[in-house]
Amino acid sequence: MYARRAAQLLQELSSCEEGQLPPYNGDKFDQVIRECEEHSRQFQSLIRDKDIETKNEDHYGSFIHHLSIIRNKRCLMAYMYKRAEVIQSYRWNVGRVLPREIQDKLNFSEQEYFKDYCGVIDSYMKDLDLDLTVDMVPPKDPYIRVRVLSEIGEVSLGDHAVSLTKDSFHFLRRTDAEPFISQGLMEEFVE
Amino acid sequence: MPGYYDISDILMEDEAVSVVFHVGANGVGLLDPGTETNSVEKGAKIDLPFWLAHELCRRRAVSITIPSCFGQKMKKDVQADAACVDLGTRYPYFYEFGCKLFPLVGDKSIGPFLRHTFANRYKEMLSKSHTASLNAIPKFVLRLSKEEYQLFEAARSSMVEFKKWRVRDLGLMKTTIVGHKRKTDLH
Repeated sequence: MYARRAAQLLQELSSCEEGQLPPYNGDKFDQVIRECEEHSRQFQSLIRDKDIETKNEDHYGSFIHHLSIIRNKRCLMAYMYKRAEVIQSYRWNVGRVLPREIQDKLNFSEQEYFKDYCGVIDSYMKDLDLDLTVDMVPPKDPYIRVRVLSEIGEVSLGDHAVSLTKDSFHFLRRTDAEPFISQGLMEEFVE
Repeated sequence: MPGYYDISDILMEDEAVSVVFHVGANGVGLLDPGTETNSVEKGAKIDLPFWLAHELCRRRAVSITIPSCFGQKMKKDVQADAACVDLGTRYPYFYEFGCKLFPLVGDKSIGPFLRHTFANRYKEMLSKSHTASLNAIPKFVLRLSKEEYQLFEAARSSMVEFKKWRVRDLGLMKTTIVGHKRKTDLH
């Protein structure tokens, strides 16, 4: 009671590294919501038939329940907000497709949120005719040497097709190679 | 000022403070483990989380007693050697908590005490952060409060960036002439 569980939820979230998420703790979340309902019931029972102006014991008791509900709300909102921020950053750092381990940590509505966010970014980029997610760090060279780590197959880049077999080396444009590098399928070959 | 969604602010407000109730409160017996009825008596001394104590104090329903982290023993410890005081494990939100507590409690000495503690610890922290390497976590870091730790990390990462900048590759052509190489000790 009194927002201790909600604080535990946030502890879990803040103990993770920057940019990582713990799995969505639906159980605790629901427990906090049930606590709020309990506070609300107590509040109703203290307020019933009482004159709001008199500052008696019931008034202070109901006030404490009211504050607890507000506090729980703040904790839950901060939990969702922080997770939403990290999910947004996944689009920029990881790409359009999330690996299995990350998807397992999100609940259903968070996965929907990710899809919608990707859709918004994509329609914006289509209007600009510019891919904003490549080159997050300004590159020194438009071309890059890469080594393919896992089998990708035939990919058409620009006007020609490249066969990306495992352990092959290629000299590609940076914008073409970046999506593969961020998914971990290729690595930059540094002499 | 920390925002509504700021997680470290929310966690900081969860710190417990001891309060004395000026009024009774019904229906909240869970706050006081010693009570038999479902209410808190006037004059009861209870530990409340700071967010609750703060609001009740504003409405003059309780008065907050100064917690031990700003008490006499702490002041003596700081006088002896500020840098050795273990804020990281005991009071990670020392400074923020003090700043929020200060207007609610009548003690005017908290402000200067916070500043004095910080100033004394800062010197040691500055020198350690510039010499610490990236991987090892010196034991002394565990003694820092959350805000001090952020400063420490900022100094450490800027030092690492500086070292990287010093050895940066300027993209010059490598020649085959091997001249007299000057050894630079940068690690």
